[in-house]
Amino acid sequence: MVGAFDFVPAIVLLPFFSFLVALFLGKYMPKGGALAGITATAGSLLLSIWTVLTVAGFTGTATTYQQTLYTWAGGMEGTPLPYELTFGLLIDPLSSMMLLIVTLVAFLVHVFSLGYMNDEGETGLPRYYAGLGLFSASMLGFVVADNLLMAFMFFELVGLCSYLLIGFWFREEAPPSAAKKAFLVTRFGDYFFLIGVVAVFATFGTAAFAGDGSFPALAEAALAGEGGGDVNTLFGLDPQAWFTVVGLLVLGGVVGKSAQFPLHTWLPDAMEGPTPVSALIHAATMVAAGVYLVARMYGFYALTPTTLAIIAFVGGFTALFAATMGVVKREIKQVLAYSTISQYGYMMLALGSGGYIAATFHLMTHAFFKALLFLGAGSVIIAMHHNENMWDMGGLKDRMPTTYYTFLAGSLALAGIFPFSGFWSKDEVLYEALVHGLGGSPLLLAAWAMGLLAVFFTGFYTFRMVFLTFHGKPRTDTARNPHGVRWNVKGPLAVLAVLAVVAGFINMVPVAKLTGLEIEFLHDWLAHGPSGLTSEHYSELTHDYANYSVGTLVGGELGTALISGAVSLGLALAGAGLAYSLYNVPEPVEHTDRLGSAKDVLFNNYYQDEYQVWLANDVARGISRGADKFDQGVVDGVVNGISSVSLLSGSRVRRIQTGVVSNYAALLTLGLVALLVILGLQGGWFV
Amino acid sequence: MIIEALIAFTFAAALVTFVLPDRLAGRGAFALSLVPVLGSLYMWSQFDASGNALLGGQTAFETVIPWLEVAGYEISWYVGVDGISLPLVVLTTVLTSLAIVSAWTPIQHRQSQFFGLMLFMEANLLGVFTALDFFLWFIFWEAVLVPMYFLIGVWGGPRRKYAAIKFFVYTNAASLIMFIGFMALVLGLGDSTSSFALPDVAQALRGGDLGSFYGLDANTLRVVAFAAMFFGFAVKVPVVPVHTWLPDAHVEAPTPVSVMLAGVLLKMGTYALLRFNFTMLPEVAVEYAPFIAAIAVLSVIYGAMLALAQQDLKRIVAYSSVSSMGYVILGLVAYTAYGVGGATFQMVAHGLISGLMFMAVGVIYNTTHTRMVGDMSGMADRMPVTTGILIAGAFGYMGLPLMAGFAAEFFIFTGAFQSSVIAGNGLALFTAAAMFGIVIVAGYLLFAMQRTLFGPFRLDTDYEVGPAPLHDTLPLAVLLVCIIALGVAPEIFFSMITDAVDPVIGGVLQ
Repeated sequence: MVGAFDFVPAIVLLPFFSFLVALFLGKYMPKGGALAGITATAGSLLLSIWTVLTVAGFTGTATTYQQTLYTWAGGMEGTPLPYELTFGLLIDPLSSMMLLIVTLVAFLVHVFSLGYMNDEGETGLPRYYAGLGLFSASMLGFVVADNLLMAFMFFELVGLCSYLLIGFWFREEAPPSAAKKAFLVTRFGDYFFLIGVVAVFATFGTAAFAGDGSFPALAEAALAGEGGGDVNTLFGLDPQAWFTVVGLLVLGGVVGKSAQFPLHTWLPDAMEGPTPVSALIHAATMVAAGVYLVARMYGFYALTPTTLAIIAFVGGFTALFAATMGVVKREIKQVLAYSTISQYGYMMLALGSGGYIAATFHLMTHAFFKALLFLGAGSVIIAMHHNENMWDMGGLKDRMPTTYYTFLAGSLALAGIFPFSGFWSKDEVLYEALVHGLGGSPLLLAAWAMGLLAVFFTGFYTFRMVFLTFHGKPRTDTARNPHGVRWNVKGPLAVLAVLAVVAGFINMVPVAKLTGLEIEFLHDWLAHGPSGLTSEHYSELTHDYANYSVGTLVGGELGTALISGAVSLGLALAGAGLAYSLYNVPEPVEHTDRLGSAKDVLFNNYYQDEYQVWLANDVARGISRGADKFDQGVVDGVVNGISSVSLLSGSRVRRIQTGVVSNYAALLTLGLVALLVILGLQGGWFV
Repeated sequence: MIIEALIAFTFAAALVTFVLPDRLAGRGAFALSLVPVLGSLYMWSQFDASGNALLGGQTAFETVIPWLEVAGYEISWYVGVDGISLPLVVLTTVLTSLAIVSAWTPIQHRQSQFFGLMLFMEANLLGVFTALDFFLWFIFWEAVLVPMYFLIGVWGGPRRKYAAIKFFVYTNAASLIMFIGFMALVLGLGDSTSSFALPDVAQALRGGDLGSFYGLDANTLRVVAFAAMFFGFAVKVPVVPVHTWLPDAHVEAPTPVSVMLAGVLLKMGTYALLRFNFTMLPEVAVEYAPFIAAIAVLSVIYGAMLALAQQDLKRIVAYSSVSSMGYVILGLVAYTAYGVGGATFQMVAHGLISGLMFMAVGVIYNTTHTRMVGDMSGMADRMPVTTGILIAGAFGYMGLPLMAGFAAEFFIFTGAFQSSVIAGNGLALFTAAAMFGIVIVAGYLLFAMQRTLFGPFRLDTDYEVGPAPLHDTLPLAVLLVCIIALGVAPEIFFSMITDAVDPVIGGVLQ
């Protein structure tokens, strides 16, 4: 019987075809190939919905799917390779949920692009839509990958698309530079990731994510003392230590792609790309690839407590660190960029704290509300004739109500205000970190504290942005007479706004604990799946190998959940309230100037960019120039020295060195002929 | 018979082209060069070899014709291909044809001689990759230098004579040392072999028949011969520190010649390393694996750092070849199926990708008459198609997945990382160090692209800039398609390569 799973390859291939169509035929088509992209992503979205329903069991029994499709290397009979390298599909609750998120946002972004790119009269639209199509295909290929190598390959391809789309306006100076930086910084992380991939192959002989012979399963067996012979640790390390090394290597790619400290510097620069691209790639999907990868191989990470602790700590730190920078930015997209870094920090914090479900939950809600905020910002940018400075805005509330109310919904979700979606997911992230921290992992408490503090900053920068943009009096002429937007902008905003409000209801943990109702749908959703890939298995692993257990404050789990939720809500409201009192006035002034020199540090991003530019420009280029001098002077100097010595001793030969090339030609030809004649004589040809 | 036919036809085609009128030579040479392309593709489709040609496998399209006898050693016309050589034969024919097309625009004087020499070089290259008798192989090996010398020396840039002589003398001197090394081995084998046939020599050496010679015991002889041959081939590859002829030759050579030089001629060195050093003397390679791996890492990192310092687009690509060839050495020394197979695959992949990069730089040069990074910016605005292909090629060079370069590099990395050739997983550390090359390559290519292709349009030379003619961009497109095809389906060559590589690594690592 033909089912949804037979069409999963089409989810990936449809946007790929739209890439080809837009690239080669886009200039002959109306809308520059937009319609091909919209059709393709709509098709992918429908197929993804069907896939999710099938995984959920609406079409019979709940089921998952794992299938090798193509042997990339080693597929021939009798080839002596130690292992095959394959492409395959792994459709389980996690990947099908991600498919839905990616196809939905991709579809909405395509529609929005009609307003942002076509209506604004941009040139180069076929290139733009080809880039979006290739990105969607690559991202979806990454999501359905059933092994680490395939995941790496698509991970790199989304990086290419990101490069191409950030640099879309290539005739200007800044976008190509930002594109280069984005690719280079993430490439630095991917260097470690690639070592991790080959290390996984060297250790396990497979990179499959799921099944009894998969590398997480083999690693678990090795640590449990079963089947250790199949696992080949390197450098004489014991399995636990070696797995930690491998996990950290792969984490390099995650830190780069998900813009975690210290490889976060590319993301704010990436805002040079068109805003729909920022929404799709640099907020909702590609940046999520790193977090998704950790979730995808969580069965491996859950075995190594050191890695988990580092993930949690990096996440908590990044959440706070980026949120503080978001407080002082002037441009609306910059605020959102630092907010994105901060929010992915929360997801990492959750993953490191054993909160697999919390992380995927926040991944989903964030994808919706952050895509919404970026598209809302896009709408504002259209209205402002591509001026992104919030200090030139003000009072847009009455002039663009659809954008305002949808943006407000997204902001409430981002700040984590009850009952918007971000409240539920961020709350669960902090709850997981708290209870596991209390349960005997004090390091998590430090990470939790940073995450909690970041809530205050989040509330503040979010509403500073809202008030500066939409409230008060218009501060410029453009803000007084903004450019209108059409249905193709408002439609996607409305859909995402609804999701930003309601998406949290699928997993209201505190309410469930309070009332005893079984409404933790996401918990149920992720609890089923292929053996070894379920949330229950993961919590067993974190319990057994990382000693994560649940500790509580007063009132048991319920009390802790309520206290945690109340504290984070209180902090978010405090931050929002401060922003309200400072910026919700007719003519706001920049209160952050009062921070003095601290503001300079924040505004300059803690000088992170400076030292990385210094490393790339001064150090690397300096070394390379030195190497070049050494090469030409010493290495080549020796060669020339030897040759001049030998030429001097052979000065008599110089008479025939006339420097005329045709003479050399004659000599060489003569020599060859003579050689052949001698050989011929020797061989008796002429007898 | 087909190999003889191909080589003979290509020689004949060269002669015909020499006497064609100049205005017809380019088109004529291209038409003639299609025959070897079709012939090599036919060989690929009919390929039925198994195992390694040197180690007792079954060779495809084999011909043995006794030729002459020197000092008791038989010399034969002995040709044939296995899974290692056939991909290189296909690479040679395809790249020559495309290089000929790419020469239509830049070569504007003495065309018949130029294109004749290109075909003459192709014929000899086909000989290098198919000959299985040392003597025959060596004739082809040396004869390749002759057309290359003239192609650089006559049609090159301002310092062409210096570059041509340096290239010729450097590689020729190296060949002499290699020749002595190999002869010492053959003589050391004594009565174990009575011919120069490479299979006989290889099997005798792997069978442990080496005796003492010239006062050197077998072990010393092995090491000395290995070192001599390694040096000889290393110059050709080239690896650091014997690489300095390469940038000079590339900068002075006309672009189509650079394509051949980087695309095919460098592979003679790595091919010979695999056929001679690593097939015949594995015990020495294993014993000195740390040194060889160190040379590989040095070539990768140092070559890439040099590329980072260059301002001439051609020099950037030239130095990056040194870097890429370092990966080949790393793969060879791993003695695993993925390592050695990946190294062979990299020869083809790098041939295509560096060919594409040189051609693309050439197309830009044809229009702007400069190759300096600082002399132009925003070329994407004026040459969108060329730019698009150049970007794709550059990402191929950076190892973008689903392009040939990634396949090759990943095979090498995974094969080398798990190799036990150095005790205590030492090669894994070398591999991790060499892999940093993927970051540096992204650095220098992205910097160069940002400055030349993007930003506002500016050109410091007085030439009209517009889209390149179709016959300039078409070879680029063909190469790009080949690169993607090999990246998506590496099995086009990889299964035959691993089949031929298996006997080489067999029994070397326990």
